[in-house]
Amino acid sequence: MTATAAKMKGQAERFRLPGIAGIGFAGLLFVVLLLVNVYLNPERFLPHSWGTLIGLAAPLISAALASTPAILSGRGGLDVSIGPLMGFVNAIVVTIIIAKWGLAGPVAVWVAAIVIGAAFGAFNGFLAAIVRIQPIVATLGTYLVLAGLTTTIVPSPTGTIPSWFSGLSGAWSFIPLLVIGLLWFALTRTPYYTALMATGSEDRAAFTSGLNVTLIRFLAYLVGGVFAGIAGLSLTALIGSADPNIGETYTLLAISSVALGGVSLAGGRGGFIGATIGALDIFLLQSALIYFNVSTFILQTAYGAILVLAVASTAMQKSSGGRDL
Amino acid sequence: MGSMIAILRRQPILGAVLIAVLLYFFGLASIDGFGSTFTLRSMLILAALLGIASVGQTLVIILGGIDLSIPFIVGFANVVAAQLYGNGMNFALVCLIVAVLALAIGAFNGALSARLGLHPLIVTLGVGTFVQGAVLLWTAGFPSGSAPQYISNFVSIGGSIGPLPFPGVVPAFLVMTLAVAFFLARTPFGRRLYALGSNPPAARYALIDPVWMWAATFALSALFAAIAGVLLLGFTGSAYADVGKPYLFQTIAAVVVGGTALVGGRGSYLGTFVGAIVLTEINTLLIGLGFQPSAVQAALGAVIILLVSLYGREAHLREQI
Amino acid sequence: MRETDCCLEAEGIVLKAGRAPLTVRFRPGEIVGLAGLDGHGQEVFLEVLAGWRRPLAGEVRHSGRAGDAPRPIRNFRDAMRRGVAYLPRDRRRTGIFPALSILDNFAIASLNRDTRIGFISPRIRRERYSRFKDLLSIVADDPRRTITTLSGGNQQKVLLARLLVREPDVLLLNDPTRGVDVATRQLLYGVFKDLASKGMTIVILSSEIEEAIFLSSRVLVFRDSTLSAELSGVELDNDRVISAMFGRAA
Repeated sequence: MTATAAKMKGQAERFRLPGIAGIGFAGLLFVVLLLVNVYLNPERFLPHSWGTLIGLAAPLISAALASTPAILSGRGGLDVSIGPLMGFVNAIVVTIIIAKWGLAGPVAVWVAAIVIGAAFGAFNGFLAAIVRIQPIVATLGTYLVLAGLTTTIVPSPTGTIPSWFSGLSGAWSFIPLLVIGLLWFALTRTPYYTALMATGSEDRAAFTSGLNVTLIRFLAYLVGGVFAGIAGLSLTALIGSADPNIGETYTLLAISSVALGGVSLAGGRGGFIGATIGALDIFLLQSALIYFNVSTFILQTAYGAILVLAVASTAMQKSSGGRDL
Repeated sequence: MGSMIAILRRQPILGAVLIAVLLYFFGLASIDGFGSTFTLRSMLILAALLGIASVGQTLVIILGGIDLSIPFIVGFANVVAAQLYGNGMNFALVCLIVAVLALAIGAFNGALSARLGLHPLIVTLGVGTFVQGAVLLWTAGFPSGSAPQYISNFVSIGGSIGPLPFPGVVPAFLVMTLAVAFFLARTPFGRRLYALGSNPPAARYALIDPVWMWAATFALSALFAAIAGVLLLGFTGSAYADVGKPYLFQTIAAVVVGGTALVGGRGSYLGTFVGAIVLTEINTLLIGLGFQPSAVQAALGAVIILLVSLYGREAHLREQI
Repeated sequence: MRETDCCLEAEGIVLKAGRAPLTVRFRPGEIVGLAGLDGHGQEVFLEVLAGWRRPLAGEVRHSGRAGDAPRPIRNFRDAMRRGVAYLPRDRRRTGIFPALSILDNFAIASLNRDTRIGFISPRIRRERYSRFKDLLSIVADDPRRTITTLSGGNQQKVLLARLLVREPDVLLLNDPTRGVDVATRQLLYGVFKDLASKGMTIVILSSEIEEAIFLSSRVLVFRDSTLSAELSGVELDNDRVISAMFGRAA
C-alpha cells in the first residue's frame, strides 16, 4: 500500500498493551457473543467441557496467531498460506509420519509439525523479505503449492490418529495454544519484538537506525510458519484424520480474525490478544448460529457483515481517523 | 545478456510476452494437439474470461488497493442472471439489474474503504462474503436457470462470429483490451487513477477526490466481474455460486504476472492481458502434460513465484529512503 | 487603500486558543513574506489562507479580478477553483507523483484543458508544457520520462508550472526554494517578481530570512501562533526580523 507512513509516525504507544481502542469493538462483541452462547448452550461451557471447547476453537485461534507476525512486520506483510500449511501438516503427519513411517509418538509428530511449519515459513520469508516479492503474491504462490501438494498426497479424507493425539482436542487441548503463547511471550521479552514493531510501523526509519529489516521480516514469517505447524496439530487432533480441503478455509477466517481484533494490516500495531479475541468472536458467532441450525448461508452473510461492521467501527473510534491499513 | 535483463526489468510486460511465446512453443513441442485450432480456441476463450474478470482487479491495483470481492460478484451475477432469466424476465432487463447492483456494491466497497481508511482487502472480503451468502439465501442454495442462446454462442468453443473461427468473446476481448488501455492512458480519470495510486497525499493537493475515485474504480471492478459472471453462465450452461472461486487468486496473478505492481501507481491493462494469456497457457500445458488438477494447482503456484521473482521484485528499502 | 484593491483578505484569524487574531489584506502585485521560527504558526496561517485548514476563528475572503465583493473561501477545492493556488512544502510527500512522467506531473491539476471530446490530446498537452518549459527553463530532454529523473530544482519548477497553468491570481508558496540549487533559486526569484509585476498576489513562507527580505515588500513575522511584527520599507532588515521571531522588539 502506498505512503501512509506519515500518518503512522505518531504511533508512539507501541509498548502499551496492544491497542485497547483497537480491540474495543471486538472485546465488546466477545462479551456479547459469550453471553449469548452460554445462554443457549450452557452445558458446553461447564468446566468439564472446557477441554472440548478449547479443542474446537484452537485451530482457528492458532491460525489467527500464526498470521499475526507477518502482518505485524509491515509493508503489506501477509501470509495467506497459513490455512493450506495447516492442511499440509495435517496430511503429512497422518499419512506419512504416522501411517507410513509408523512414528506415532508425540515427539515425532510435534517435531515433524514444527519442522514443516518452519520450513515453509522460512520459504515464505525468503520470498517476501529477500527476493522481495509482494507478500500477498508470494504467499499466494505458496498457498497454491501447499494446497496442490496436500490434495495430491491425500485425495480424499483418510487415516486415523492415535489416542494421545485425540486427547489434544479434548482434555489436553490447551497445550498447543499454550506452546504458541509461551513462545510468543518469550519473543516479546526479547529485543526482536521491539525491532519487529518498529519495522512494521516505520520501516525506513528502522532501516536507517541500523535494524536489519530483512532479517526481522524473514524471522516473522518463520515464526508464523512454526505457529502454523502447531495449529496443524490442533486441527489434526480435532478432525481425527487427514482431510485435503479443510485447511484452505482457515486462511480467510484467520485474516478476518486478525483484522477484527484490531491488528493493523499496515503493520506495527496490535498484538496477540487482539488476534485471539478476534478469533474467539468468529468462533462464538459460528457456534451460536450453528445452535440455531441456521443455514450456512445465513452464517456467511452474518460473517461478512460483522467483519465490515467491526473494522468500520474500529476505524471510527480512532480520533485521528488515520488510514488503518 | 545483462542489458536484456535490464530492459526486462524496466518493461516487465516484455518479459511476460516473451514467456507467453516461449510457453506456446514449449506446448507445441511437448503436447500432441496443442497447436490445434480447438486448443487455441479454448485457450483464447478461457483467457478472455479471465481477462474480463481481471480488468477491475487491474484498475484497483493501480489505485493501490485490491479487490477480493471479484469471485463473489462473479458468482452473484452468474446466479442472479440465471435465476431472473429463468423466471422469464427479459434478458436485457436482467443484465441492467445485475449491472446496477454490481456497480452499487463496488461503489460501496470503494467509498467505505476510502472514507474510513479501511483496508480494501478486508472490506471487499466481507462485502463479497455477504453478497454471496445473500444470493445463496435467495435461491435457497439451489440456483437454477441458464443464459439465452446468444450468450452461449458468444462464448462457446464451437461458436464463430462472421468469417472468424472464434466465438464472439475473443474479438470482443481484444477490442475491450484496447479500449481499457486507451481509457487508462488517455482520459482524465485514467491519469488521476495513476496519480492517486502513486502518491495519495499529493493527489489531494492536485484536486483529486479519493473517495469518488475509489468508489468509481471499485464500481467498475464489480461491473467487469459481473460481466464475466454472466458470460460464464453461457459457458457452463448452468448457475453455480462458486463459479468465480478460481478468480480470487487468478485475477491477482494475471495482474502481477503482467508486470503491474501491487504498490500502485504503475502498470497497465496490456500487462494483465498478457498475464491472463500466460496463466491460461500454463493451465492448459499442465493439464495437457497429464498433471492432476491438484498438481496443476501446485505447479501454478510455483510458476507464479518464479515469474514474479524474475521481474516483479520490489526495490530494496535503501532505494526508497 | 481602497477595498477594491484587495484580492485576498484574512479577517480575525485565530490560529491557536487564546492567541490574538490576525487581520491581513493582500493586494494584487504584492509579494508578502511569512517568517518565524519553526512551528510558530506561519505555516498554519498559510494553510488557512489556502483553505487547507480551518482556523479557530475568523475567515478568509477572496475577490476575483473583476473587483467584485470578496467572498469567503470554504475549503481547499473552493480556493483552487477561485484562483488561489497553494504549493506545499516537501515535494516528495505532497508534490510529485514519482511513478508518473514529467508531462503527467505537469498536467495533473489541469487535465481538462488537454481534452478533446473527453480524451487527452498529447499534442495539446505538449504545447502547454513547452510554454512553461521555456518560461521556467525546465531542464528535461524528454518530458515523457518519469519525474524522478529530474533534479530537485527542476521538479520544483514542474510543480510550480502545474499551479501556474491554472492562471491563479494568488500564489501561496510554502518554502518553495528548499532543497533547490542556487541557479534555480535565482531563476525562481525572477519568476516570482515577474508574476507579481503582472498583478499576481504572492505570499511566500520562507525559512531563510534573506530570501524573504529580498523578495517581499513586507514580511509578517510570527511568534507563538500570532503576529509578532509586520515589517516593511526601511524597517525590513535582518535584525528586526530575527528580533521579532524571538518576540523582542528591535
